[in-house]
Amino acid sequence: MAWPASSVPTRAAGPESPLLDPVLQALDPDRDRPADILHATGLTLGFGSKTVVADIDAAFPRGTITALIGPTGSGKSTFLRTLNRMNDKVPGFRRHGDVRLDGSSIFTPDQDLLGLRRRVGMLFQRPNPFPMSIRDNVVAGVRAHRIARGKQLDVVAEQRLSQVGLWDAVKDRLRDSPFRLSGGQQQLLCLARALAVGPEVLLLDEPTSSLDPVSTETVENLLRSLTPALTLVIVTHNLAQARRLSHRTMFLFDGALVEHGTTEQIFESPREEHTQRYVTGRIG
Amino acid sequence: MTTIGTGAPTPATLPGRGGRPAGRHSITQRAARILRGREEPAWRAAARIASIVPLGALAFTLTVLAVKAWPAIRVNGAHFLTGTDWRPGSAYGAVVRTHGVAHPAGSSYGAWALIAGTLQTSAIAIVIAVPVSVGAAFALTERLPGWLARPLGLAIETLAGIPSVIVGLWGALTLGPFLAQHVYPFVAGHVPDVPVLRYFRGPTGHGEGLLTSGIVLALMIVPIIASTARDLFAQVPPLPKEGAQALGMTDAEVARWVTLPWVRSGLVGATILGLGRALGETIAVAMVSGSVIAIAPNMYGNMTTIAATIVSQLDSAATDGTGFATATLAEAGLVLAIISVVVNVLARRVIARSSRLGLPVGSAA
Repeated sequence: MAWPASSVPTRAAGPESPLLDPVLQALDPDRDRPADILHATGLTLGFGSKTVVADIDAAFPRGTITALIGPTGSGKSTFLRTLNRMNDKVPGFRRHGDVRLDGSSIFTPDQDLLGLRRRVGMLFQRPNPFPMSIRDNVVAGVRAHRIARGKQLDVVAEQRLSQVGLWDAVKDRLRDSPFRLSGGQQQLLCLARALAVGPEVLLLDEPTSSLDPVSTETVENLLRSLTPALTLVIVTHNLAQARRLSHRTMFLFDGALVEHGTTEQIFESPREEHTQRYVTGRIG
Repeated sequence: MTTIGTGAPTPATLPGRGGRPAGRHSITQRAARILRGREEPAWRAAARIASIVPLGALAFTLTVLAVKAWPAIRVNGAHFLTGTDWRPGSAYGAVVRTHGVAHPAGSSYGAWALIAGTLQTSAIAIVIAVPVSVGAAFALTERLPGWLARPLGLAIETLAGIPSVIVGLWGALTLGPFLAQHVYPFVAGHVPDVPVLRYFRGPTGHGEGLLTSGIVLALMIVPIIASTARDLFAQVPPLPKEGAQALGMTDAEVARWVTLPWVRSGLVGATILGLGRALGETIAVAMVSGSVIAIAPNMYGNMTTIAATIVSQLDSAATDGTGFATATLAEAGLVLAIISVVVNVLARRVIARSSRLGLPVGSAA
């Protein structure tokens, strides 16, 4: 499944590159890496005899937020979870096609799964703290990957909790249970935990669907602040959220990628009738 | 059954039922209607009784034991807890009185060897059984495919139902001799002469004794702990485990950091269940302990426990015309009951401390 080197689009050549200034391009440390950090080609996914998504080609430009929208059962989550191979262990899961991270397939037999997940992190639909203290939750991944230890862990915990704006709320109860935090705070904690291992891509599976509007806004602002350092892919049922948050939008319907473009284009001038009907609330 | 409805103070129809005549409802519907309004007080009374019964049973048991044991408590005194002699005295000799209690001349009872034996065998059983059970439960829920896990789980539960006398028989006739011939000599010859491990050195005996008793007990409590642990593991919600995988944790790390902490207090509870069984297990230990009232000099030494002593001595105790031997056995039983209660309370403290993180077992976070 090797991708011909000549056809790998580089950032300089990318038509939608956020960096058009040639000087900045020369200084860009990522200039020799593909402009699209993640690239799915001919991806067909299914469980058993059921095909969930078929033949998806999609690229995720570095440093952008892409929203995956579509009705329930359209295959958004299955697609998202394939990007860091979370579906590998699901019984009956099958896959054709490829996903490349920085130009190399994530499905090669020698791919280090744990390393992949360190680079491609994930935030889930509902907060899922581990049964350990707040501080230990934040540094759980850091510990597992032996990125830091001892006193450094406290530094990492403070840094990441501050980054998600939770530090002031929890600094006096770092040793307490995370289960006494509010739902929004728990989700921020999970975000801090995901950020602590230093991912390049963050996959978000309806991260605010269980949160109240105020917490949702907090999380959204935070996600926005993570770009362009990180690339975000977010599954959402909330069209307003997709519109507010994302640079690019993919519309999936019934297992097919119907339309993929800038968020403005998808919402303002969709090319497909299906997309038009979905974004205006007439189906789904 | 038709008389149930007559004279009942319930209205003929229920709200929302459209005013159909009562006679057109089934018997169950009518019964439900009659019970409505009475079920709450009945439920409360039943709950109250149910909550008192276990406490009452415990208090009753301890009281009866204490009353039966009272003469022995007065005569044996503190010596009963510290002494290691166990002499019934002469059944045909003179009867003497101490503190007004008649007992055979020369009788002297110290139960320290029994108490120590009970604690030692139970400790060995727990040390062996807990890792084995948790490992088995983990394999059943997380590693093995369903077609293999289901029959294995059933086998473990069936193991819990095997009568202890059969386990004891197997321990005495098969396991004990096998260990004494093929395992113990090897172990005794290879462990270094350092603290703790030192107890694995020395004469290895014929297969009865402390270690064999502990192993047989472990075998009996593994099903209890393993089946409870399996149910606990199955209750751990998938989302935190997925979160750990998504962080790049290995399966072992997910188990270490998420699954085990999630069920920790439940595992302590399961261990207490097993410990209670091990402390009180009687007949199997009586068959493999060697039945010697002494503290085992090493892991292979003959010894006995409180429960095993009670069952093996009850017959001869009845020949003591003064009833003192029986009272002494009751005292031993009281000590065993108190040990069980104390162990339970201590373990509950451990649970309270380890669930500081506010995690109800199996809670969906």
